[in-house]
Amino acid sequence: MTNAKPQSSPVWPWYAMGIAGIVTLVVSFVAPPDAIQGELSRILYVHVPAAWLAYVSFGITMLASALYLWKKDLKWDRMAAASAEIGVLFTGMTLVIGMIWAKSTWGVWWTWDARLTLTAIMFFVYLGYLALRRSTDDLEARAKRAAILGVLAIVQIPLVHFSVVLWRGLHQTPSLLKPASVDMDTPMVVTLFIAVGMFSVMYVAMMSKLVELGKLEEQVILADRSSTAPVAGSAVTAPSLGGDA
Amino acid sequence: MSPPFWKQATTVTRRDLLRERRSGEVLWVTLPFGAVALLLIPIAISTDTVTLRRVGVGMFWVVVMLFGVLIAVRRTTSDSIAQRDMVALTGMDPAAVFAGTALANFLLLLLFETVLGVLTVVLYDIDLSGAEWFPLILILVAVGLSLLGTIAAGIVATGRSTAALVPLIVAPMSVPLLIAATQSFEGLRLGKSILTWILMLAVIALVLAVAGVLSARPLQETG
Repeated sequence: MTNAKPQSSPVWPWYAMGIAGIVTLVVSFVAPPDAIQGELSRILYVHVPAAWLAYVSFGITMLASALYLWKKDLKWDRMAAASAEIGVLFTGMTLVIGMIWAKSTWGVWWTWDARLTLTAIMFFVYLGYLALRRSTDDLEARAKRAAILGVLAIVQIPLVHFSVVLWRGLHQTPSLLKPASVDMDTPMVVTLFIAVGMFSVMYVAMMSKLVELGKLEEQVILADRSSTAPVAGSAVTAPSLGGDA
Repeated sequence: MSPPFWKQATTVTRRDLLRERRSGEVLWVTLPFGAVALLLIPIAISTDTVTLRRVGVGMFWVVVMLFGVLIAVRRTTSDSIAQRDMVALTGMDPAAVFAGTALANFLLLLLFETVLGVLTVVLYDIDLSGAEWFPLILILVAVGLSLLGTIAAGIVATGRSTAALVPLIVAPMSVPLLIAATQSFEGLRLGKSILTWILMLAVIALVLAVAGVLSARPLQETG
């Protein structure tokens, strides 16, 4: 018997997520209201960072997937999976918050605008990615298959981002991520960047927790596999010689 | 010495087509299923000719995308692990197996599109302006969808709930194909140039072909 304590999970991600959430809310309410949209504009300090971080999450899934295919190290697979989960969460958040904003501004919860539709489709592509990961317990097979899909799925992001430029719809064109000048007042831009920073902190904290969870899940799968794996020669049965049975 | 790449690929194509001839899965199940879908849509929307003429092309492509996935998935659900292992043990190039399978899927999809296309023209009274472009669009969409379906079928092979998982992966990822196909027909109807959309279809097919060939070996290694 040893006195070694089990390694405790770090608590900083919980604090980081809490603080980042509070700061986002505070700056969103401190920022001046929009001249046209009024108080409703505050919703954009959550909607826009969630959308951007969803792009970042899926971008990191693609990079980690490519690195897994190159290096064959499961740590990249864990990172790709964790980032995809966060990306799905942020995409879902973007859609729901966007719908609330749409109801107040456009009068409907949903409209068949290219940006909205393609964002919903991107959400389902990555849900498919997560479903694929659940379809097998073979760690290497799962990692390789998910990595290929993780690389291919990235095509959705430019399609979603440039959809407002390619198809004229209700959703506004980019205010910041465009080559021309910025269409927002300085206090609003500063607030938006603080919110993006806080969402990035949340992303890093969640990644830390999910990667750790992924590692534990792999240990469970490996332990389960070793306890149920057939012993060498177990498929061979003793021949029945008949007679004195 | 193993046979040349295309010899291997066409052997796989012949095997898949022979299997289709024996089972008749596409011809006698998926194709009638797609035709029934085209008949059901007007009952749900409207039987008004003007409305049907307006929505017909879009409905055709939705049916092709959703039911076309079933054509790509049929091999995944029927191939056993032992069959896959046997193909691997023959020493065939995984990329040739991919190309052969995709080619068989392409031919079956093209047949599927053609029959349903004629049916759509008849049932929905489709405007036939620019009809000389139809074959090229049908071919490019069939190439893209067969490559996408073959890659997805390879990714989910041997996993749990394979039959349900492939459509979940392929349907959302086929959106660029759907957009390019529907916009091409819309462009033809309005008399506008459709070269951008044709180029988009060709680029998608090229990217998918490269991705399929590159991923064939890693996917075979995972069983």
